[in-house]
Amino acid sequence: MHPPFSLIWFFLTAGVSIGLFNFTYFMEFLTLFGKDTALPKHMVLISNVISLVLIGLGAIGASFHLGHKLRAWKAIKRFHTSWLSREAVFSGAYGFTLLIFALLRYFDHTGFWYHFFGIITFILGWLSAFSTAMIYASNKFVLEWNTSISVLYYLNMYLMLGSSAFLALTYFYRKEFVGTYIFLTFLFLALGLAFRLAFNIRQFYIKKPTINEALNLPHNRPIRVLDTGTTTDNYCTEEFYYRKGKELLPSILPLAYILTFIVPLFFVLYMWITGRVDYNFIKFTFLFIVVGSALERWSFFVEGNHVQNLFYGLYPEEGYTLRKGYMERKKTRISYR
Amino acid sequence: MPQYALVIDLNTCVGCHACATNCKEWNTQASFGPLSDFEPYGRNPEGVWYNRIMSYEVGDFPDTQVFHLPKSCLHCQDAPCVPVCPTGASYKREQDGIVLVNYDDCIGCKLCSWSCPYGCREFDEADKVMKKCTLCIDRIYDESLPPEHRKPACVLTCPARARFFGDIEDPNSEAYKMIKERNGFVLFPDMGTNPANHYLPRTETKVHVDEHLLEAENPLFLEVVRRHYKGG
Repeated sequence: MHPPFSLIWFFLTAGVSIGLFNFTYFMEFLTLFGKDTALPKHMVLISNVISLVLIGLGAIGASFHLGHKLRAWKAIKRFHTSWLSREAVFSGAYGFTLLIFALLRYFDHTGFWYHFFGIITFILGWLSAFSTAMIYASNKFVLEWNTSISVLYYLNMYLMLGSSAFLALTYFYRKEFVGTYIFLTFLFLALGLAFRLAFNIRQFYIKKPTINEALNLPHNRPIRVLDTGTTTDNYCTEEFYYRKGKELLPSILPLAYILTFIVPLFFVLYMWITGRVDYNFIKFTFLFIVVGSALERWSFFVEGNHVQNLFYGLYPEEGYTLRKGYMERKKTRISYR
Repeated sequence: MPQYALVIDLNTCVGCHACATNCKEWNTQASFGPLSDFEPYGRNPEGVWYNRIMSYEVGDFPDTQVFHLPKSCLHCQDAPCVPVCPTGASYKREQDGIVLVNYDDCIGCKLCSWSCPYGCREFDEADKVMKKCTLCIDRIYDESLPPEHRKPACVLTCPARARFFGDIEDPNSEAYKMIKERNGFVLFPDMGTNPANHYLPRTETKVHVDEHLLEAENPLFLEVVRRHYKGG
């Protein structure tokens, strides 16, 4: 699949926004149970402004993916069937309730309504993240994405971005939580690495369809694509098959692993084990996660193979176990021209 | 519920691209047009086509067969492109099962094309909306046309008469009979989309030769021998 940069941008901005709010309100929420985790007003406001600006920038950036940006409001119409519609509704509502939450904190109304809007914003943020993840995970024609790992991984990425951003913020305002958030960042980084590895390892075991299955022909007949009806690329070959990306993927994917997980894990473990908390380490942990996540999302798109590529002979050549009781494994030859 | 669809005979389709050309010609000027073109006479011509013809070779050399597969929107009965549309611009008509896109509501998010396993939706970079085969809905209901012309442009133009149009749920329709009598099949049956467009499979040509034709005094004898017993 061709990676749309506007969607990668939305992932990063919404991820930091929702993740950061998640931990900011979580600390405030704990005060309801008598914990001494209340954050200074200044910190809550800075965190909320960052979240608001980022979700706003994310929405503007994501609109560049649309052909008609001014019609984007119409995306609320199919809430009952479309995950994209749900994402639009939830992320819009998240931004709105976040604004109210921030205003309540600004005017020092920290009672019932403060926590009411805090909880609502928290839930809407996660519903928005879940809906975005489901846009990819529910697409059964891109088999690499069509798994619950995509959702778990996606949500965990928000936690990775959020915990590292909160760590950078709490360093200045409530230093006693730095240790906790170093641990949480480590935890979500480790989980993220595990989910990403699972996502990649799973790709070796996907039962991929063949061109025979696409054309509904017997499985044992070799098929060659002679002609695809055009002398050049068309929308289908450009949107669903990114030739340049496929060439770059073997270099970009390891780089994404290193920048997203390995380097930040090294920084976090160093701070955890030695107890030397340096703000530069915290800052670079967050920056590496952001840059790495951008590359990781790019790889996620390029790794996806849409089944329509079968008709063009552009789907990966793979054998698979035949269905309908024939337990033999066959290699179907696909070649292009 | 009626379900209008195309039935395409792979046995007679010669891959001449006349259906695709006439589709483009009709739809670029009719209600759903234009279908944009970019660099039509340049090195890399690109554009929106509702119908594309693929050619495949099956079998090992020298026992190979070539067949041509015209592929346009299959108007799936469980169309996966419809529920994912966030605006409802993509919809399936109840009265005839045709899947259409309302260009006034389409925001051009491309999610419907991601949800089509056949690659039958194309984004028009000029109009910034998703476009697809309409089964020439502006022809088939046009009462100003003679009844025999109320068919999709691709069906009317096919020189090999490989394309048929009709209600595949109506036992009296030509399309229904074709599918039943000649084992019509669909693309990607495992995808759960239940496509409406069907294809008629290629069949081996079998010639029945009566005994009297094989008698030596028959003037056709030598011709029959030459054709069917070559090398034997």
